[in-house]
Order: sequence, then structure tokens, then C-alpha cells
Amino acid sequence: MILRGSFAIWRRDMLVLRRSLLSELVAVVAYPLTIYLAFGIGMQGYIGLVEGVPYGLFIAPGLITMTAVNAAYNESVWSLWFHRRVQFTIESYRVTPISVSEIVIAKILSGFTHGLIKGMVVGGVIFAITPFRFPLEHLVAYLIFLVPGSALFSCAGVICGTIMDKPETIGKVEAVFIMPLIFMSGLFFPLSSYPPAIAPWVRALPTTALFEGARQALVVGILPYGSLVQVAVTALLVFVAAVWIFRWKLSE
Amino acid sequence: MTTQTPAISVRSLSKCYGALTALADFNLEVARGSIFGLLGPNGAGKTTLIRILTTLMRQDAGEVLIEGLDPRTHGREIRCLIGVVPQENSLDRYISARENLELHARLHGMAVGRYRRRIDELLELMGLAGRQHDMPDTFSGGMQRRLVVARALLHEPRLLFLDEPTTGLDPQSRRAVWEYIKSIAGRMTIFLTTHYLDEAEQLCGRIAIMDHGRLIDQGSSQELKDKLSGGTIYQIDFADNVDAYAALLQGMACVKGVEIVEHSVCVELVSWECLAEVVTILNGAPVKRISLKERTLEDVFISLTGTGVRE
Repeated sequence: MILRGSFAIWRRDMLVLRRSLLSELVAVVAYPLTIYLAFGIGMQGYIGLVEGVPYGLFIAPGLITMTAVNAAYNESVWSLWFHRRVQFTIESYRVTPISVSEIVIAKILSGFTHGLIKGMVVGGVIFAITPFRFPLEHLVAYLIFLVPGSALFSCAGVICGTIMDKPETIGKVEAVFIMPLIFMSGLFFPLSSYPPAIAPWVRALPTTALFEGARQALVVGILPYGSLVQVAVTALLVFVAAVWIFRWKLSE
Repeated sequence: MTTQTPAISVRSLSKCYGALTALADFNLEVARGSIFGLLGPNGAGKTTLIRILTTLMRQDAGEVLIEGLDPRTHGREIRCLIGVVPQENSLDRYISARENLELHARLHGMAVGRYRRRIDELLELMGLAGRQHDMPDTFSGGMQRRLVVARALLHEPRLLFLDEPTTGLDPQSRRAVWEYIKSIAGRMTIFLTTHYLDEAEQLCGRIAIMDHGRLIDQGSSQELKDKLSGGTIYQIDFADNVDAYAALLQGMACVKGVEIVEHSVCVELVSWECLAEVVTILNGAPVKRISLKERTLEDVFISLTGTGVRE
């Protein structure tokens, strides 16, 4: 497949991001930073160590991952919805000699890039205000997790932006599915806190594999291949579904 | 492909949305280099037809050929050959006018040097060069429309689809778009849909009228008017006694009908040869003026599609 069209649309999205980078980053950094200050610093004295590490360190990888995947999801879902339902730019792309798959790949790439950039900025801010330092190989292992994780949420965003015609529905999906999935995946507490009957189900979630795997990669420096494969395979399946759903919706 | 190959050929085209039939056994042929107008009331099936012709939608049955290519199997090739001005402006409001054009040039795979020159040319031609770095949502409706037209022409298409190109524009902007369409006529085939009958009359060499998914009639504006059933209509203005003279005219064998409009009587004659008889009978009457009332394309349109308002 020639990805000329994908690159052209991604380039457009990056141009728009570059122009609004400062305001975007202020908004993106504010939320996880507030959570970090409230929980990581405020509660640290009460909680102490979790799984052998300070609570502030325990939640830091999850907050960075949450920022990245949220940014990836939000960029894809809102961008696709806006271009499809408000600006009708998707229609204008479709009468050029590019394929529908190229459009959806562009939107996934854009969401993924947003996620990666914003996640790294939040990571930089958290590291700047905390004493925690990580060896380079830990950071590389963490990035290896963040890439399929952002891609997974970007694809999910494309699906939601494709099938949902009303903006309020998009907001509801985020409140009912995305945020609970992120919070249930052990962002603020260890998975051992779950009752034994529930724990296997939570562990089976790809989001758990992402958050747990990313934490192990960053804090301990090990790359849990099982979790990585689970996230990557889920991302691939959701990507195929996103392309299929987008094609189906546009052929209506 | 020969030069005789029509730009658009549609045979027995059908498209349904569930129980609703949007197109039924639709046939059409558009010659290369012509300006072809498609008229129809709301819901007639115009948008469905354009979406199929521009590869955005697939038909249920029938055959479509664009420049000899089937959209079902040669979508990408067809999209290289066509330019589309949709009903909605579909401009990207987060990037400048020039960036909008650059994006589309890249989507068409144009080389940088070529598209830069072409964009300069088109912006100049459309009177937008001075505003090329502004965002499109700061433009007037007419300017936005001109930018959409420029975008559709960027890659020098062989076939240009204009879906209601002047809807919502003020008269000056409408005329500017008309002038531009006229100026490019002959260089490419233009397929135009419009609600403005004067627009179709001004621009189109051939006009098709469709309703309920079917082609009702087609021809040049004059051919369509000539086909309209009914005789020649003259408007006769009287200084006074309009009612009496209307009754007198109504009694004539060669008069099919009369209608009083203030101080005038519209007389429908069996044929124009009857005018001499009318003039004779009105000898001495206070006639101020006798004028031929031309049939308009609107008369044709209404007679073919009815007067009922569509949902």
C-alpha cells in the first residue's frame, strides 16, 4: 500500500499540533500533574511503600502512560469526528486518489504521535519535580511499551470517532469505558488488591498488560514479553477493526 | 479510449437505501468538453448520482463509466481525473488557504515544484493571492467557494463536478463563479447540479431534469422549452376595461386560455399565427403594449416535476 496520503494527512495534523503545542501541553500536563501532586506527594506519607517502591514512584509510570493513551484516544476520536461530521474534510480526502485505509492510518498515526509527545512531556515534568531517576535502558523498555499502547488507544479512538455521530456519546464512552479501563488496570493500586475472583479477569485486560508491563519496564527495567505481545496483538486487531469499520461506515 | 468516448456514461443505474429508491433505471450520457446541468427537486436523487459518479458510493445495479473507466474497479484512476466541488465547503479551517491547497496537491501526488506554481496561478486567478496565508473561516462565503473551486482544479482534472456551486452566495459572487466556469468551458467536462434555473440556463449546453430517481427529460435549454406543451403566450397591457377585453379574447377559437394580471391579459394562443386575428379583434381597443411571454426553464421544471414542496 502506498502511504503517500497517510503521510500528507499526518503532516497536516502535525502542522496543527505544532501551532497549538504550548496550549495543548499546558492542558495535557495539568491533569496528571494535579493527580501526581495530590496522590503521589500528598498521600505518600500515609501509604509508604507499594510493592517495595515509594507510592510516588509506583504511580508515576501509570500517569505517564495514562497521559499518552488518553492523548492518543482523544486526538483520534475528536479529530475523526470533527473532520467527518463538522468540517467534511474526510469527504474531500476521499475524492483524491488515496485509499480509505490511508485516511484511517493517518488518523491512527496522528493519535499515536500526539500520545507519544504528550506522554513524554508529562514524563519529563514528573521526573523534573521528583527525585526518581531511571537508567536509559529502563526508559527504552518503557518506550517499547508505550508505542503499541498509544497505537491501541489511537485505533480505539478511530473506531469511536467513526461510529459515533454525536459528541455527547463520545464523552459518555470515555467516562464509561476508557477511564474505568485505565483506572482498573492498577494505575493507583497493585493488582493484588483485587479479590481473587476478579483478579484473573482484570489481568486478562490488554490495558492491565499495558499499565503493569509499562510500570515493570520503567521501575524494574524488565520487559515482560507476554504483556508486550498481548498489547501489540490487541493493537493489531483493533487496527484491523478500525480500518474495516471506517470503510464500512463510509460506504453507507 | 477514443475521443468519442463520453466523459460520463450511465446505464440502467439503480440505488436503494432500504425501501427508499434513490435511483431507478437511470440513464445518462455526457459528452466530453461540455457543460452539463442536472436539475431536480430536493430528494430527486442528484446527490446519490454525484456520489456514485465521484466514487464515493457504489450502485446496486447498472453501469457507470467515467472517461471509460468503471468506478467499482478503477476508483483511484478516476479520482485522478476528476475534481469535485461539494455542496459543503469542506475546507480545513485549522490551516491556511494555501496550506489547504498544498494538502490536496500532496494527496494527488503532485511534485512540489509543480504544485507551488499551480497554487500561485490559481490563487491569483481566484483573487485570493492576498489572503493565501489566512484561515478559510475568516473568508466570506464567496471567497470560501472560490477556494473550494481552486482546490478542485489544482490537479487539472478532465472532469469537474460542481454540486450546487453557488448556493448561499450573493449575486456578485455567483456571477464571479459563473464567469470562471465559462472561462474554463471546453478545457474540461463540467457536470453541474443546481437549484438555480437561471444558472443552468446561463452555463449549461445540455440540461437533464430528474425526479424520484429517474431521468425525466434532457436537452438544451431551448429544446426543453420547445417541448413544453401549450401554445404561445402573449401579454397584452390595456389602459382600461381589462375584464371586457379578456372576455372578448376568451371567446376566440384560436385562444386556448386567458389570465388577467392587474391591467394585463395573458393570452395563450394555439399558435403564433393567431396573433394577427387577436390584433384585428382588438382594433380600436386601448392597447398599450403587446409582448411575447417567453417560456422559462422554470416553467419546464415545474411542469415536469410538479409544484408540490419536497421534504
